[in-house]
Amino acid sequence: MINAYILITMEPGDTEKAISDMRKIENVEKISIVAGEYDIIVRVKIKSLDKLLKVTNKIQMAKGVKKTTTQVIEKELTL
Amino acid sequence: MKIRRKYLFYTLAFASAIIAAAVSAIDAKIINDVIINDPLAFAVSCFIVGIIISLVIVLIFSIPIKKGKSLGSKVIDPSFRRIRLVRKEEIKYHVVAGLGNALLTVGYFFLLSDLKDPSVVLPFSQIVILYLLTIESITEKNMPTLSEIQSSVIVTFGAILGSISLTGSLSLTSMSFVFLLICPAWVLFSIYQRKLKLLKIDGRPNDSLNIRFWNVVFACVFAVMIVMIYDVVMNSAHFIAGLTASLEHFGWVALTMGVTFFSYVFYIRALGIGKASITQAVRASTVLFAIPFSLMLSYFNIIPPFTTDPIMILLKMMGTILVLLGIVSFALALVKAYIFIKVKPGYPIDETMDNLWKIRGVTRVAAVAGPYDFIVKIRTRTLVKGYERIIRKIEGIEAIKEYKWESVLKEWEDI
Repeated sequence: MINAYILITMEPGDTEKAISDMRKIENVEKISIVAGEYDIIVRVKIKSLDKLLKVTNKIQMAKGVKKTTTQVIEKELTL
Repeated sequence: MKIRRKYLFYTLAFASAIIAAAVSAIDAKIINDVIINDPLAFAVSCFIVGIIISLVIVLIFSIPIKKGKSLGSKVIDPSFRRIRLVRKEEIKYHVVAGLGNALLTVGYFFLLSDLKDPSVVLPFSQIVILYLLTIESITEKNMPTLSEIQSSVIVTFGAILGSISLTGSLSLTSMSFVFLLICPAWVLFSIYQRKLKLLKIDGRPNDSLNIRFWNVVFACVFAVMIVMIYDVVMNSAHFIAGLTASLEHFGWVALTMGVTFFSYVFYIRALGIGKASITQAVRASTVLFAIPFSLMLSYFNIIPPFTTDPIMILLKMMGTILVLLGIVSFALALVKAYIFIKVKPGYPIDETMDNLWKIRGVTRVAAVAGPYDFIVKIRTRTLVKGYERIIRKIEGIEAIKEYKWESVLKEWEDI
């Protein structure tokens, strides 16, 4: 399995609608609204890079998404 | 379904608390209405009948429904597939959790036969939160913060006040039972069940239904051993009395163990989400839920009638309010954040990763490919602590070139 973070910058005003669209996307594990350089951080778990492209594409289709940056996890330590 | 993780956690812990209050009322009826008035025999019969009833429940939930999913995965725990044997890696945890459950159950029945009223017994047992906080601060790298300690102390004192019987008595024997037997046993039971829930089985999170079923099996073995040893030493016949009670009062014991099953399944699921101490603190709301059951038992003359002394009632109310207050402050004081980190060239990634992982409050460190080198997830009770404990430490790691802090405002999780 491939895990990745997708860091999203939004146009002002469309966050609520975009979040509700993203909550419907399969393979999305976690959605966090954050305060800082980015607006939303999405964690995804997918089987292949091909699927990652599809998920990223769906996220980019959500209204108000200005820019996405994908960070693929290579190694992880967790509680 | 993606819901806010904390909502699921509180729903599970509250569901467990309500069911636990109902269970204690059924147990009080069994013990006080002289259906089974021998605590050791009751413990034996609970586990023997418990294995049968838990097996039936897990088998029912193993029935496959559409898309290869089982009934249990649809309605109880999405991680559940079907009943299965214990895996090798689970055995050591089940042994300790089973021993904890056996000791806890024996102690609980002694307490119930001594105190009689479940609205007294349940709050008393919440003192275990303090034990759990101490153990967690030693075993997990997650030291309790001041606000966690504060809330736990509020809950504990509330529970002690709440445990003053409405008939006005406070028993020292019962207190020593709680401190020396029930609480340590509960710590084993809850910490090791949490470890089981956090294990991955076939690449999936472990499920609460199998954990509960096998916990009853292991606990039965220990309970039978404890009672047999007691019988040999004291020349008594509690084990035989337990077997007889299992047959004679199968319906009552099956009822209490059937309902208990669901209380613990929800508890185990909650343990998989929150720390054992915090799960226990939320479950302490059982103190509140036990009151209507106690009033009902008193109305039917199963337990002695309550005092009308306003001081006693006031103390009990204060205790209950403190417990609620403690739980609410636990729930509200939590700050989560992501830290994005870029590192300087020439420093080994593994070493930097270990340095980040050692920082208190860090719950996840991911080495990533992209504009950043690490994404770190942190959890802290206050922003001040976040600065003192986390930012200062990150700034102290030589390999780190720059970092960005992104506070989490709201979060949804697929559970």
